[in-house]
Amino acid sequence: MKLSSTKVFLLVLALALGCKQQEDKNSGPKKMAVIISTLNNPWFVFLGERAAAKAQELGYEAKIFDSQNNTALEADHFDNVIVSGFDAVLFNPTDADGSVVNVKKAKEAGIPVFCMDREINSLNAATSQILSDSYSGSIAVGAYFAQQLNKKGNYVELLGLVGDNNTWARSNGFHSVVDNYPELKMVAQQNADFDRNKALEVMESIIQSNPNIQGVFCGNDAMAMGAYQALVGAGIADSVKVFGFDGADDVVSAIQEGKITATGMQFPNVMAERAAIFADEYIRGKRDFAQKIPVAVELVTAENVENYAAYGE
Amino acid sequence: MIATATKDRLIKLQPLIALFVMCLAISILSDKFLTVNNGWNILRQISVNICISVGMTLVILTRGIDLSVGSILAFAGAVGAGLLKFGIDVPSENVNIGFTLLGAIIAAIVVGGALGWFNGFAITRFKAPAFVVTLAMLTMARGFTMLYTEGFPINGLGDHFGFIGTGWFLGVPFPVWITAVVVLLAVFLTNKTPLGRYIYAIGGNENAALLSGINTKRVKMIVYTLSGITAAIGGLMVTSRLDSAQPNAGLSYELDAIAAVVIGGTSLSGGKGSIWGTVLGAVIIGVLNNGLVLLNVSPFWQQVVKGAVILLAVIMDKTNKE
Repeated sequence: MKLSSTKVFLLVLALALGCKQQEDKNSGPKKMAVIISTLNNPWFVFLGERAAAKAQELGYEAKIFDSQNNTALEADHFDNVIVSGFDAVLFNPTDADGSVVNVKKAKEAGIPVFCMDREINSLNAATSQILSDSYSGSIAVGAYFAQQLNKKGNYVELLGLVGDNNTWARSNGFHSVVDNYPELKMVAQQNADFDRNKALEVMESIIQSNPNIQGVFCGNDAMAMGAYQALVGAGIADSVKVFGFDGADDVVSAIQEGKITATGMQFPNVMAERAAIFADEYIRGKRDFAQKIPVAVELVTAENVENYAAYGE
Repeated sequence: MIATATKDRLIKLQPLIALFVMCLAISILSDKFLTVNNGWNILRQISVNICISVGMTLVILTRGIDLSVGSILAFAGAVGAGLLKFGIDVPSENVNIGFTLLGAIIAAIVVGGALGWFNGFAITRFKAPAFVVTLAMLTMARGFTMLYTEGFPINGLGDHFGFIGTGWFLGVPFPVWITAVVVLLAVFLTNKTPLGRYIYAIGGNENAALLSGINTKRVKMIVYTLSGITAAIGGLMVTSRLDSAQPNAGLSYELDAIAAVVIGGTSLSGGKGSIWGTVLGAVIIGVLNNGLVLLNVSPFWQQVVKGAVILLAVIMDKTNKE
């Protein structure tokens, strides 16, 4: 297939016209960009879709960008967003430090950025940060954990991704409570990458070396489901209490059925909608926003589960 | 002559010796390792990897590579789960086509085979490098999975479907049976059929194979199709085990499969290697994964150890050849 010079010319022309059209769009409806750390995880898909839906409800065009957990790709998205004249960014950062420079770039271009769920380590880059309070949430889970196990026994902790902020915020919050009880003994601590299958396999192996356990704390709900399946396979699900974090739909129903003991319910819809509303207010002229707005993580147990649905909806 | 024959045999036994040494070391350090339960555990856990690695071995024997297996696994698993649970809606006719368990399984395998066939087609028809074509498929099939599942897992697939991944048959986990059948078929294919000889011939010297009348394009298409099918079987097993088709299932499984093939002594430059070697490679990886967790080794160190084992295997392979 040879490209003739005419074809090349037409192609260039078409591209140029395409770009022209994009610029003209500036006079049309205002646009919000939703830049999400990864769409490879249902929780973030939900966050992104809720943010885009709320923006549309408020009369904006909304477009979702997937950073695929890659801060460099995220930087490209910001470049594109600035060039194509978006009016605001609803942002879920890939990295607390690495994303700062991207947010500053948008700020310099006069585009406000509203962080959702995850924070960035800067107080003067984003217009506002609406954050899930993972640390306090896992303290609540930890306290309930200690109570349910009568402050003694052997337990296992499944970590998420060992390089991820949230992994350690949840683990540290949990341990800040549980480590006060010397009779609560952590017999194994392994990572399962927030992944259900990995959690199942890791838990199966852990059960082999530690059959005598009373509790499992998991850094998210997918791992809690995987760990529960391993316990069922080993026939000890009835005597081991499993704790998760997120508030995913299958865990909410598992709590109702008594399979999982508790989870920390996050509210992605609250964070997403508030970010969209803030952006709308900014575009209408409001300028004073609180830099950090924590959204509480609530403890969901068998006693209060009827008040909740997936992701707090 | 006798000396070289003995040496050859020793080289072939190398992975087996490595496995034995590893098992010995772990069982000294942990009394939980050498138990019947743990044995079944390891076999069940490596079933998926062995299945994918068998397809990968065939591809690598022809001097190819298939990076798309993890994504094909996820897509086939999602299609199987989706068809079983929701069927296909035809809005224009206002009907829903339901799928039986067998129908959904066959559909998943057909989807995997079709994507694999497309890999083979693009590689042979356009003479494109397998690395690039299957890399493109890795991305595309993951995208198809996201589109099909809309980014959310498909849960609650029922006990019948669950049997594939969690059931027992004659005292052996059912996924182990499936994998055993796949392995035996592949061993038969490579050792006893003309197609098997062609696969080795193409990997040894593709031009010579072509000149001697082998339809190299057709053989390659078959090999990539088979790799897609084994990935789909793996996808059904993962989905069934979790009772859930996860959109991010199978991430980086291609690397585990390549590692199993290489540790098992199959040469990345094609023509040399065996299915049994790959099975051994997968067992070594499985034992390592299991052992490191049993010994509660820190997650940071686990990655270093796994990488080092792969490196060691390749270095041993290289020095043997010299």
